Amino acid sequence: MTLETKRIIIAVLGGLFLLSLVFVQWLETARRAEEAGLRAPHVSVPANSKDCVDCHVQANPGIIHHWRGSTHAEKGVGCVECHQAQDEEADAYLHYGQTIATVVTPRDCSRCHTIEGEQFAASHHAKAGNILASLDNFLAETVEGARLSFNPHSPTPGKAVDMVNGFASAFSGCQQCHGSKVALQSTDGGMITTDELKPDADGIPTDLDAVGKVVRDENGRPLFHPGTWPNTGIGRLNLDGSRGSCSACHSRHDFSPRRARQPENCGKCHLGPDHPQKEIYEESKHGAAFRDLKDDMNLDARDWVLGEDYSAAPTCATCHMSGNLRNGGEVTHDPGERISWTNRPPVSLVMDTDINHAIVKETDPEKRRALIHDSAEDKRNRMKDVCSHCHTPDYVNSFYHQYDDLVVLYNEKFAKPGRMIMAELVSQGIRTKTQFDEEIEWTWFYLWHHEGRRARHGASMMAPDYTHWHGMYEVAERFYMELVPQALEMADHAAETGKQSQARAVRQVVADILARPEHAWFEGGAEGEMAKIREEMEKRYGQGKEGP
Amino acid sequence: MPNVLNWVGERLPVSGEQFRELTNEPVPYHLKRWWFALGGTPAYLFVVQIATGILLAFYYEAAPATAYESVRYITHEASFGWFIRSVHKWAATLMIAAVILHQMRVYFTGAYRKPREINWMVGMLLLICTLMVGFTGYSLVYEQLSFWGATVGANIADTVPVVGGFIKNMMLAGETYNVRTLSRFFVLHAAVLPVAMVMLIALHVMIIRLQGVTEFKFEDEGKGVPKTFNFFPDHLYTELIMGLLLMILLSALATIFPAAMGPPADPLTTPEVIKPEWFFYVAFRWLKLFTGTAAVLSMGFIVFVMFGWPFIDSWIRRKTRFQEASVWIGIFGVLAIIGLTVWEAVVRH
Amino acid sequence: MATDERDPADSSEDGPDRRKFLATASTTAMAAGLTGGYGAFGLIAGRFLYPARPDERQWQFVAETGRFETGDSLLYRGPSGETINVVRQGNAGGAEDFIALSSTCPHLGCQVAWEAQNDRYFCPCHNGTFDARGLGTGGPPGDAGMELPRYPLKVDGGLLFIEVPVDQLADKTGEILDTRSVRPPAGEPLGIHGPGHDPCLACDGQSRFDRKA
Repeated sequence: MTLETKRIIIAVLGGLFLLSLVFVQWLETARRAEEAGLRAPHVSVPANSKDCVDCHVQANPGIIHHWRGSTHAEKGVGCVECHQAQDEEADAYLHYGQTIATVVTPRDCSRCHTIEGEQFAASHHAKAGNILASLDNFLAETVEGARLSFNPHSPTPGKAVDMVNGFASAFSGCQQCHGSKVALQSTDGGMITTDELKPDADGIPTDLDAVGKVVRDENGRPLFHPGTWPNTGIGRLNLDGSRGSCSACHSRHDFSPRRARQPENCGKCHLGPDHPQKEIYEESKHGAAFRDLKDDMNLDARDWVLGEDYSAAPTCATCHMSGNLRNGGEVTHDPGERISWTNRPPVSLVMDTDINHAIVKETDPEKRRALIHDSAEDKRNRMKDVCSHCHTPDYVNSFYHQYDDLVVLYNEKFAKPGRMIMAELVSQGIRTKTQFDEEIEWTWFYLWHHEGRRARHGASMMAPDYTHWHGMYEVAERFYMELVPQALEMADHAAETGKQSQARAVRQVVADILARPEHAWFEGGAEGEMAKIREEMEKRYGQGKEGP
Repeated sequence: MPNVLNWVGERLPVSGEQFRELTNEPVPYHLKRWWFALGGTPAYLFVVQIATGILLAFYYEAAPATAYESVRYITHEASFGWFIRSVHKWAATLMIAAVILHQMRVYFTGAYRKPREINWMVGMLLLICTLMVGFTGYSLVYEQLSFWGATVGANIADTVPVVGGFIKNMMLAGETYNVRTLSRFFVLHAAVLPVAMVMLIALHVMIIRLQGVTEFKFEDEGKGVPKTFNFFPDHLYTELIMGLLLMILLSALATIFPAAMGPPADPLTTPEVIKPEWFFYVAFRWLKLFTGTAAVLSMGFIVFVMFGWPFIDSWIRRKTRFQEASVWIGIFGVLAIIGLTVWEAVVRH
Repeated sequence: MATDERDPADSSEDGPDRRKFLATASTTAMAAGLTGGYGAFGLIAGRFLYPARPDERQWQFVAETGRFETGDSLLYRGPSGETINVVRQGNAGGAEDFIALSSTCPHLGCQVAWEAQNDRYFCPCHNGTFDARGLGTGGPPGDAGMELPRYPLKVDGGLLFIEVPVDQLADKTGEILDTRSVRPPAGEPLGIHGPGHDPCLACDGQSRFDRKA
């Protein structure tokens, strides 16, 4: 090589070096513009999703704009990454060259978010779809609706109603929180769900007959049963056999953790007369602090560790799911990991759980110990880790003392006696096994399912008004003024129709309960107590009437 | 203009001719083959490291509370910070690769043999310094890898009998990683080791100049080919071309794979998967294969053998009939290193 | 590469002029290439060292305009630490009613104080004086025709905003050091300290009034 050639090569390489630095300058300028907010963060649409974006930005611009603002978009996770499907899947279809499925399931999300998927799958949230054979479901499908389609009662002017869907209340009510059993339409007029498809461990259907029956439109796209989709219920039973829906909390298509950290997100379902956790939170000091200090909550932080990223106030997520300094910032997607009582059933249960995350109901202490995999104490200690960021140990322990006392009081004074009366009515043949066809069944349901839960939840999250006026006060009224009189009335009625001995048995159970010291005031009177109250009132307010 | 030259010439009595004479070491003709220029590559990259390292030091703050934030500032806010940092990181990677390739070339061509034993050992020192600079370098970012890498490194040193505890305390400025640890790494990375390397490189080059580069003869070379050619300007041009190619490669790597930032160091949580930079994969895998002191001592022994290889090799050549034993041992060593590195790279734990 | 010529003159068939031209041209091109490449790298290095966004300014909220009446003033400290007097001088309802003047004397950086009795800002260091619009009237600033630096203001929805430099180190918001004659939002106790402020502000960064509080 001559010296000239070498010099020319150096010149060319120098030019190339300069060019590469010009490219660097271009990147730097782009970065600056982005930072100064002159341009939206640079989102490069991943190549395999480019066609999706080009078309859907016309058809459904909201989806695309939402996605553009997501962390997914920033990190190059496009449409196909989540919606991709295998040809064998029942709901897969070819859509402009890509095999995709409409419904994205936790199995899809778990491809990247593996740990989150595992935690979620172990949670009670993932089992929320099991309501499909529960009392609540019976209410919606039978009492409120009907397990069939029926003819309209009379014409609706302006709308041709030929059939009434008896499942409507279940579809739009229960299942939007609990999750539907996602179904495809079948050529025989029925539904094809995960039960029919029998997916294997990889989510691929094994019953090919069922797959063959899926109704598809002219483009080959499978048709969903409209009652079961759209649905983002948290315990959705998906066609691939997975349970749940990540978008229940991480709403699509921006999947914002920021939103999932805020109480409004949980409030889609955790509210209302039977479990007003959202309202309880809002009444509590915690909720008030959050409303006030929301700006200090650093909700956009990547890890959002309590004590590190924020400490202004706790939200639902803070206590039940998010990481904190004491647990090493570890997030859990199983909100049950820190809950020590379940206040869901009529009588609250201690959250000692077995290897399958089911509550241990064994009573023998030895056997019980052997079964417990994760004790209520462990769970409570995890919660105490959270509490202790802002509260001293004595304070936390005493709070739990108050909470335990309230739950036990409810259990022992009303729930267990109530359950005993209800059981006795059935075993004596005075009450039918069908729920909600007798007044006392509604009474009992109100007592535990609405008022009793309000009292317990209120105590669990520091909302005194829910504990007392919306809670224990109504429980007591329901018990003394409705449940007991209705039970006795049923006994009287039974006696009139010749069931003397059965009526006696029921009366005996009620009488035994009311004879206990905590109920003695009801029939024995409480003149002494009233006198004390009057005296106290006079001291305090200078008047001694029946009340303030 | 001539006046200025005269003025300077009177005060610095070196003429262009003399200067040329001084620098114009005759370069062996085999250096026309490009792979023999591998020794110049790490030297060039070292200069790049010094330049970019000085730039980075303007913003870097070596304390646990500020280190990560200052690196974040460099990466995300300072003008071209991401570029400078990425070039620094990539040049480090390439430098280590080039040092290893250079050493392999020297080994397999037997260029360490008498009378060049001392320069081989200087080269070994340079290799160790380079690896140490690499280690202290990624410890400075104060991300999870930095913290746990340093902790693991110190505890490895701790297993050395007798002096282990002392070394660990010298490394960490205490029994465990503490607020004074980072400044140690910084001083080592940015002052002690670079200065040591400058001196070693000077020594390395000086010895080469004294002895002359090993000369090789290749069979395809014609009879009339001379043994040497001029350093200036011919070989300098070669080096310039190499340098520019490296710069282009570096800016391409820096823009395509810019240096990212891992999660900040968290002394409470060891990440589930923790791996050092790739050039320590060999050692890391070795430490997993054997336990505790045995692993550390065997590794020390291997390094010792590498140091003394010229003498061991000459002993083998004198005492045995295996004249080419070094080649086979070398091939075995290279395969072992590659094998262990790949093993570590593909498994999770 | 192996068939390289050691002496270009030997193998070249070209005339000496052409050879000379080639050598000069290639040397020039090489020099240009090297200068361009490494020069650009040097420029990037220089730009890296020069502070990023040295004069970034942002609009910062100061106070509700309703808290001011004509003649009222407050002392504001911007996010980067500069102290600014904000005074209401008119009642037209826009940003032009207000004036925001640095309280740092342009002469040598002392803190000026408002003297209501003399209707002027006074700098204790070298007896500099400024009028209510910030123009130098006496002392070294008056002689040199210096002015107290003014900061842009805007009113948006009854809220007064000021454009001030934003330092990366500092908090992203400014603060009101001294409300003086401005009425605080309803409910807060009224702290009237009269116009003019503490020249000692520069000494320890704390106002006399703050300390009292």
